[in-house]
Parts: sequence; structure tokens; C-alpha cells
Amino acid sequence: MSETWTLGLKLLIITAVAGFILGFTNYLTEQPIIEQRIQADMEARLAVLPSAEEFEEMQIEDIADEKAEIIELYTGTDAANKIVGYTFKVLTKGFGGDMEVIVGISSDGQVDGIRIGNHSETPGLGANASDEKFTEQFVGKSVDGPIEVRKTGSLNENEVQALTGATITSECVSDAVNLAIDYYNETLIGRGMDN
Amino acid sequence: MKLREVFTNGIFKENPVFKLVIGMCPTIAVTTAAINGIGMGLATTFVLICSNLVISLLKDFIPEKIRIPSYIVIIATFVTMVGMIMEAYLPELYDNLGIFIPLIVVNCIILARAETFASKNPPIPSMVDGLGIGLGFTLSLTILGSIREILGSGTWFNMQVMSDSYEPALIMILPAGAFITLGILTGLINRFTTKVD
Amino acid sequence: MEYLSKLILLFISSALINNIVLSKTLAICPFLGVSKRVDTALGMGMAVTFVIAISSVITYIVHYAILVLLGIEYMQVIAFILVIATLVQLIEMIIQKTSPTLYSALGVYLPLITTNCAVLGVAIMNIQENYDLIQTLVNGIGVSLGFTLAIVLFAGIRERLELSDIPAHLQGVPIALITAGLMSVAFMGFQGLIK
Repeated sequence: MSETWTLGLKLLIITAVAGFILGFTNYLTEQPIIEQRIQADMEARLAVLPSAEEFEEMQIEDIADEKAEIIELYTGTDAANKIVGYTFKVLTKGFGGDMEVIVGISSDGQVDGIRIGNHSETPGLGANASDEKFTEQFVGKSVDGPIEVRKTGSLNENEVQALTGATITSECVSDAVNLAIDYYNETLIGRGMDN
Repeated sequence: MKLREVFTNGIFKENPVFKLVIGMCPTIAVTTAAINGIGMGLATTFVLICSNLVISLLKDFIPEKIRIPSYIVIIATFVTMVGMIMEAYLPELYDNLGIFIPLIVVNCIILARAETFASKNPPIPSMVDGLGIGLGFTLSLTILGSIREILGSGTWFNMQVMSDSYEPALIMILPAGAFITLGILTGLINRFTTKVD
Repeated sequence: MEYLSKLILLFISSALINNIVLSKTLAICPFLGVSKRVDTALGMGMAVTFVIAISSVITYIVHYAILVLLGIEYMQVIAFILVIATLVQLIEMIIQKTSPTLYSALGVYLPLITTNCAVLGVAIMNIQENYDLIQTLVNGIGVSLGFTLAIVLFAGIRERLELSDIPAHLQGVPIALITAGLMSVAFMGFQGLIK
């Protein structure tokens, strides 16, 4: 039996040392990782609502429809502390799994920009949703009606061109943007004006 | 073997991808772009050098019977470290490589080098072996990544290299393109190396 | 009822649409290595199914009952790979003692499974996708049946290839890879199954 014990003990020592080293590495990298995420979130918010200078998080509860869910909502204010718009982080089910879409809606009632956050879409197809060519289409869309995705043909005012070979992903993105639009129309509209 | 031979052995004679045909999963999966190929290759190289060094140093401490679990723990430690460091300082690459970072653990190249080289050789040659094999792997991944990125996206390291009229061949970025490109490349390499022999 | 249909969708998606070998490009080593004959391919497929089904449940429990509880999620890779290695050894011993017929069928493949990246990959994906225990099991079985299907079909093709006239330099691995590429294209056809 004693041999088994030595073997077990040695493996335990190796694993314990490994755990110790990893604990230390984790301690060193934890802060940079958090900061890096905060930084990335901040950059995303600025990118979708460039007119804002500062952002303040709003407390929200369960805003979701069957296709998407708003997980973060920020109010963007300019230098004069006037509300210029809102940014939403929307979680939606993409083709390959969960997908984050960051949407900026300005107080004058139009989509100011969108960004694709974490996703697991197919490289070369759905992953192209992150390309500016696709996201730029949403800029300037009015919040008067939902945004539709179109595969072919000429586009109407509220339509965007689907990604080649990734209609599902394109629709998921527009679902996310539409949820943000709905919430804006129902709850947030007008708030910036009185301020 | 001289150190130089140990080093070049991994790049040419025992090139993990084209000659030994191991480490296939990351090879196929992450080579959608050249930069991902280099990133995965260097991450694997780092793990290989470190695990080869530690395993070579501990070869008298680790009992024969539990060597595989011990090697796996050592390898997993370095893989987790690479993951943490990458997430902190190279977040974009970390996102692109995704699940294939933790899966470096089960990359057969690393365990194979531990078994066949590091457990039988002194620390310095073991590190050189790790470096050679790792760079051989990196080189293969970069070549494959470059071909797929140029044909599939029209870019190379994110720079436009094809003219605007070039319609990117989507299939090259899909898994199918990876299999086919790797198959043809291996065939070509067979063609030229067997001639030299 | 809704949950059940969700499970069925998950199963179809993990077995066919996101086929572990041809779409997620995991488990390529055994796919190329143990696919020269249909019967060995089937044996490998069954052994993998067995191990993945059990290991996904156990790693799930280890993750939530130990790692999360102690706040040491960074030990995930070490913990999972140790669980899988131990499990494979245990299964091998148990089968050897209890069922000699099963052992003679699966025995030779079991040691190869520890370094089959699908096993660790599925375990990590289950956690990343926030599956519950039942979804974890369904996903595990779906993935491994998808693997079995792919490797058996592939072996069938390779048996035929043996008899074909292939240029000398393409024989063996190169032509196998090209075949896998064409199969991957064929499996993309499943993408239309679920919208």
C-alpha cells in the first residue's frame, strides 16, 4: 500500500504546486483583465454614441422579448450634463450561440451606432457582422419602426442588407437593435428633451 | 544530437503538422487568418518550452506509474497561465482563439514531446526541442493561415492584398477549406520531399 | 413541453449542425487516425460516446460543486483533464472486470481518449454555454453521436478510397483530409434544419 501512498502524495504535491502557481498568476492578471473589460465596454459605448462624454449605468430589471434581452443600459451625457442618448448591451441568441450587441440610440430618435461584442458566430460568415460594412447600415435608422433585414433587392428606409450566407446572424442583430428601439420608445423617449 | 540538430529537427524533419500529422485540431480550427495561426503557434511554443523544461527537471521526481497525469497537470498549468496572460494583455487574440486556448492541453504534440524527449533528456536540450517543435508548428499554422486568409478574405495580416475586384472564396475560411488546403499542402510537401530523399 | 423541444433542438444541433468534427473541428486526431476501417471507427465512436456522456456530467458537478464553491474557477483546465484521465482509467478497469466482450470491443480505444480534445472541449463548452445538468447530458450525447456518425461515414469512404487509383503523393493523409473537407461541405447542408 505504501507505494500507492507515495504515488498519490507525489501527484498531490505536483497539483498543489500547480494550484499555487496558478493562484499567483490569477492574482497578477485579475486586475488587468477586469480593467481591460471595463476599457473595452467604455470604448464600445463611445463608439455607438460618440456625442456622449460620460456614461452612467441605469438600474433595469428583466427587459426581454422572446428573441433578446437587455443586460446593460447606460445614459450618455455630454459636457453640459445634458442627456444625449442611451447605450444598450443586448444579449441575443446568434447562430452559433449567445451574441452581444451594443446599441446606441440618441435622444433625437435615431440609432447612432451598433457594435458586436462577444459572439461565437462562424468565421467568414456570421462573424462578419462585426465588420463596419454591416454595422454602419444601422447608423441613422429612425426609431419609428422596427428594422428589417433584406436578403436581396433594393432597400427601403428601415431595411438593412443581410450578410452573405448569414441571414440568421443578421436577423439576430436586428432583433437586438429592435428590442433596444422598443424599450426606447416605451420608456426612455422624451427624457432627454426636458433635461 | 547537437543542439542545432535538435532545433531544426522540429521545424523540418519532424514538423508536427506536415510530417507527424499531429496537433490537427488547432491547425484546422484557428487558421482562418494568419495572425491567429501565429498566435496559436506561439502560445503552444511557450507551453512546449516551459513544460519540456519542468518535466526534464522533474524526471527523477516523477514516478513512472503516474507520469502521464503528472505531465498533464504540468502542461495544464502552463496552458492556464497562457490563457490568463492572453486575456489580460491580448484580449482580441484571446477572443479569436476562444476554446482552443484551454484545448492546448490535449494537443498531442506537447504530451508526445514530454514522453519521447523531455523525460529522457537534460533541461537545455529539452527547451531547445520545445522551441524547435513549437516554431515548426507556428510556421505550419502561419502558412496555412496565410493561404486561407489571402484566398478567403483577400487580406494578409488584415492588410488588403487582393484587388477589389477579387471575390473572396468563402469556402477557404470554413472548416472545409482548412481540410482541403491542408490536404493539398501535405500532398505537395510529400511530392517534393520524397524526391529529395 | 417547451423545455423538451429545446432539448431536441439542442440534440440535433450538437449532433448534425454543429458537428464536432466537421463543423467545430475538434477531435480531428482520432477522426484521421482510427478511420481506416468501418468496424474500428464504430468501436472508437462508441467508446467516445461512453466517455463523453459520463465525463460531461461529472465535470459539470466538479465545476459547480467544487470549483465555483471555492472560487477557484481558474483551476478548471487542470481539474477537468484530471477528472477525464482518471475516469478513462476507471472505465477501462470496470469494463475489463465486468464485461470482457465490451472490453474486447472498446478496450484498445480507451487510452487514446484522454487526449481526444472533444472530451475536454465538450466539458468546457457545457460550462461556457451555461447549460443545466440535463442539457449537459443531452449535449454530450449529441456531440458524441455526431462524432460517431462522422467517423463511420468517413471510414466507409476511406475503405473505398483504398481501391481507387490515387496519385502517389496524395495517398494516405492528404486524400483523407481532402475527403474530410468535402464531407464538411456536405454537412453544411444541415444548417438549414433549424432556423
